[in-house]
Amino acid sequence: MDSEYAIEMLGITKQFPGVLALNNVDLRVKPGSVHALMGENGAGKSTLMKCLFGIYKENAGKILLFGKECHFTGSGDALRAGVSMIQQELANCPERTVAQNLWMGREPMTKLHFIDHKKMHDDTIKVLKNVDLDISPETRMGSISISKQQSCEIARAVSYNAKVVVMDEPTSSLTEDEVNHLFKIIRQLRDSGIAVIYISHKMDEIFQIADTVSVMRDGEMIGTYPITDLTKDKLISLMVGRDSKERFPDIGPMPKTNVTLKVSHLTSSVDRSFTDICFELHKGEILGIGGLVGAQRTELVESIFGIRPVKDGEVFVNGKKIGKLEPSVLIKNGVGLITEDRRRTGLFPMMSITNNTSVPSLGQYLNKMHLLDHRKIGTDTVKYNKDLNTKTPTMETLIQNLSGGNQQKVIIARWLMTLPDILIMDEPTRGIDVGAKHEIYMIMNALAKQGKSIIMVSSEMPELIGMSHRIMVLCEGRETGILNRDQMTQENVLTLAASFMK
Amino acid sequence: MANKTKSAAGIALKKVGKFAAKYTTYLTFVVLLVVLAILTRGGALRWISIKNLLIAESVRAFAALGVGIIIITKGIDLSIGFVVCLCASVAASFAQPADYSGALFVGKQFPLFLPIIAGILTGTVFGLFNGALVAYGKLPPFIATLGSMSIAKGLQLIYTKAAVVGSLRPEFKKIGQGSIGPIPNLAIYVLIAAILVWVLLKHTKTGTNFYAIGGNIQAARVSGIKVELGLMVAYGIAGLCYGIAGTLQASRLGLANSLTANGMELDAIAAVTVGGVSQSGGVGNVGGMMIGVFTMGLINYGMTYLAINSYYQQIVKGLIIILAVYFDMRKYSKR
Repeated sequence: MDSEYAIEMLGITKQFPGVLALNNVDLRVKPGSVHALMGENGAGKSTLMKCLFGIYKENAGKILLFGKECHFTGSGDALRAGVSMIQQELANCPERTVAQNLWMGREPMTKLHFIDHKKMHDDTIKVLKNVDLDISPETRMGSISISKQQSCEIARAVSYNAKVVVMDEPTSSLTEDEVNHLFKIIRQLRDSGIAVIYISHKMDEIFQIADTVSVMRDGEMIGTYPITDLTKDKLISLMVGRDSKERFPDIGPMPKTNVTLKVSHLTSSVDRSFTDICFELHKGEILGIGGLVGAQRTELVESIFGIRPVKDGEVFVNGKKIGKLEPSVLIKNGVGLITEDRRRTGLFPMMSITNNTSVPSLGQYLNKMHLLDHRKIGTDTVKYNKDLNTKTPTMETLIQNLSGGNQQKVIIARWLMTLPDILIMDEPTRGIDVGAKHEIYMIMNALAKQGKSIIMVSSEMPELIGMSHRIMVLCEGRETGILNRDQMTQENVLTLAASFMK
Repeated sequence: MANKTKSAAGIALKKVGKFAAKYTTYLTFVVLLVVLAILTRGGALRWISIKNLLIAESVRAFAALGVGIIIITKGIDLSIGFVVCLCASVAASFAQPADYSGALFVGKQFPLFLPIIAGILTGTVFGLFNGALVAYGKLPPFIATLGSMSIAKGLQLIYTKAAVVGSLRPEFKKIGQGSIGPIPNLAIYVLIAAILVWVLLKHTKTGTNFYAIGGNIQAARVSGIKVELGLMVAYGIAGLCYGIAGTLQASRLGLANSLTANGMELDAIAAVTVGGVSQSGGVGNVGGMMIGVFTMGLINYGMTYLAINSYYQQIVKGLIIILAVYFDMRKYSKR
C-alpha cells in the first residue's frame, strides 16, 4: 500500500521520570522534500528522532514508513530499512579508511567468503560520486575534513538506498563554502525523491533549504507550515511561544560595583582552543558568554575553574591572584561551577539528594573529631533545596529519579552551600522544561541581587539577551567583543560570534 | 482508566520490588540460614557451628572490607590473593622461633610486634602501589592489579624460596587462634575493623568522597575532590586490610606457603557483590559487605555439609559471582 508520506509519526508520546518529553506528537514528511524540524533546545526534537530510530521506546503512538508500520531497534536497523541519520557528532572510525567505513558490517565478499577489496574500492568511488567527493577510497577517514567526512556519511546513507535522511545540525562545524556544498547535495537528494528531515537552529539556512517547517515547543508539535507561509519573526514567535520579555525577570541595570573576578590573558594549553581572554566580572553582575558551537565557551569557563589546563594568563578572585587553577582552590576562594553536561560532570546518579547537595561543602561540616556532622548537613541541604523549591519525594531519593529541572536545582543548591561569591553557570537551563527554566531565571536574578556574581554561558539567544548585564562573545576561541545592555540584539551577538568565519 | 489501574498495580509491584531489592542481601542470608538450620536439624544454629563460621570467614572479611572500598570507587583488585599470601609469608618469616633450623632468619628471635607490623606494612605498600598506578598512572584497575598480582606472586616465591614458612611461635599463633571467653579473637578483630570502616565510609569526608569518586569521577573532580589522592587512600586502606588478613591467616594456620589465600580475590569480590556493593561504583556499605561474607560462608558450609565435591563448589562460587554481578548490572545500568 502506497502512502503520500515517506515517514509518518503519529501520536508519539514519551514520558521520562518527571518529564513529559513528547506529548502526542504528529510528524508527516513527504518524499522529495526537505522538512525542517525546529524548536528551542529541549523542545523535544532529538527525543522525537530517537523514537524514530528506536533508541528510545515511545510510550504511545506509531511510526509508518510509506504507510507501513515499523519499529526500528536502533540506527543500524533503521539504516537497512532506508532511514538514516547524519549525526551532529559524526560516528565513524577515524583510523579506518573511507572505504572500510562506508561498507562496515556489509563488506562485499568473494565466493570464498573473503573480503572483495577490488569491488569495495570500485563501489566506493561510485558512491562518492553521488556526493561530488573525489577522494581515494583508501584515505584514512580521520585525515579528511569534517565536511568531507559528513559527505561520506551521506554517501553511506545513499548506498543503503536511503529513503529518509535525518540531519541533526549538520552545518554546526562547517564553513560557508562547505555549507553551500552540503546544500547542493541535499537538493540532489531531494530531487531524487528522498525525504530529508533537517534539524537546525539557524534561520537563514531554513529559509534557504527547507520546503516545509514543523515547529515543536515543550514536547508538543505546534504545527507544520509550508516555508512560503513563514517569516523569520513568525517562526521565532512560534518556537518561543510568547514574547521573550515576559520570560525573563527584570535584572535591572549593570551594577556599579567592585570587580570580583578578573581574568587576564588566559590561554588554553590545548591547540585551537581559546587564546588571550581578558574580562572582569563585577559584584552582582550577570555576565553572559555567547558564541556558536566551537567558540570554546565551555572550555574557557572550565579552564578558569581548573578542570582544563591553561598555558598562560592569570585569574584573580576578589583581588587575590589564584596560584594554582584547581577546583578545590577555586571553591575555597568562593567560586562555583555548574557544568554544561549535567549527566557527565554534575550528577552522582546513584546518590541521594542530600549527598548530591553536600559533596563539595563537606569540609564545612566537620565536628571537633573531624567527623561529619550529619545533622547539620541534613538541615542545610533541606534548607537550600527548599529555598530553590526543589521538588523531591524525600531527601533520600536518588537524584537520577528527578526531572531535569529539579536535578539542576539540586546542583545549584550544591554550589550555594559552598557559600560562593561567584557562580559560573554553563548552559544553566539546558534540557529542562519551560516552567523550571523560568524558576532558574528567578533564582539567578535573586542571587545577583544578593550580590553574587554570575557568569552564564548560553547558546540560547533570548536567554543570553534577557538575562545578562553584559555579553562577552567568543568566536573560535577569541574574544570578539563585549556588549552592554543597550547594544544587545541578536544581530550584534551573531555578527561578533561569526567574526572570524569566512 | 484501564491505564491508570494498570499503573497503580505497577507502582505497587515496583514498591515490593524496591523493598526486596533493598534488602535482598539480608533476605538471602536469612533464607539460607533457615534452610541450613532445617537441613542440619538445628545443627547450623549451634554455637560451635557459628564459631567455626566466624573463624573461617574472618580473614576473608578483611579482604572483603578492602576490596569493598575499592569497588565503591569503581575500581577492582585482582591482586588480593597473592598480596595476602605475600603478607602472610612476610609476617610468618618474622614469627619463627630462633631455634628452628628451617627458619628464614635462623637464630634470630624478633619481638612479637615485628611480624604484625611487617605483614601490615607489606600490604599497605602494595595497596599504595596499586593506588598510584590507578590514580596517577591512569591504568585501568583491572590491568594494574593484574600486574601487581604477578609481582606479589613472584616476590612471595623469591622471599620464601618457594618453601613453607612454618613452625611459628605459639605467642604469634595465639593472636589468631585465641579467644576471649567463648568468642574467637578473629571475630573481635573483624568487628573492630568493620566498625572502623563504617566510621570511615559514613562519617568522614575522605570516605564519603570514595562514593563521589565511584559515582561520577568527573563530577567529583568538579566538586573539588582531589580524586587522585582519594584513590591512593582507598587503595592504601585496602592494602592495609590485606596486610591484616595475611598476618591473621599466618597466625591462624601457624604457617604460610605459596598456596595461602589462594583465590581469595574471587571470594572477597563475590562476597561484597552479593552484599550489594555495585560494580558500577558509588554504592555499598559495610553491613552489606559483612552479610555478603557470611552468606558466602553459609553457602560453603552448606555445600560441605551436603557433601558436595569441592570441585563443584568452585563452579558454584563462579556462578554466584556471575549471577550477583548480572543482577547488579540490571539494577543499575538502566538509567
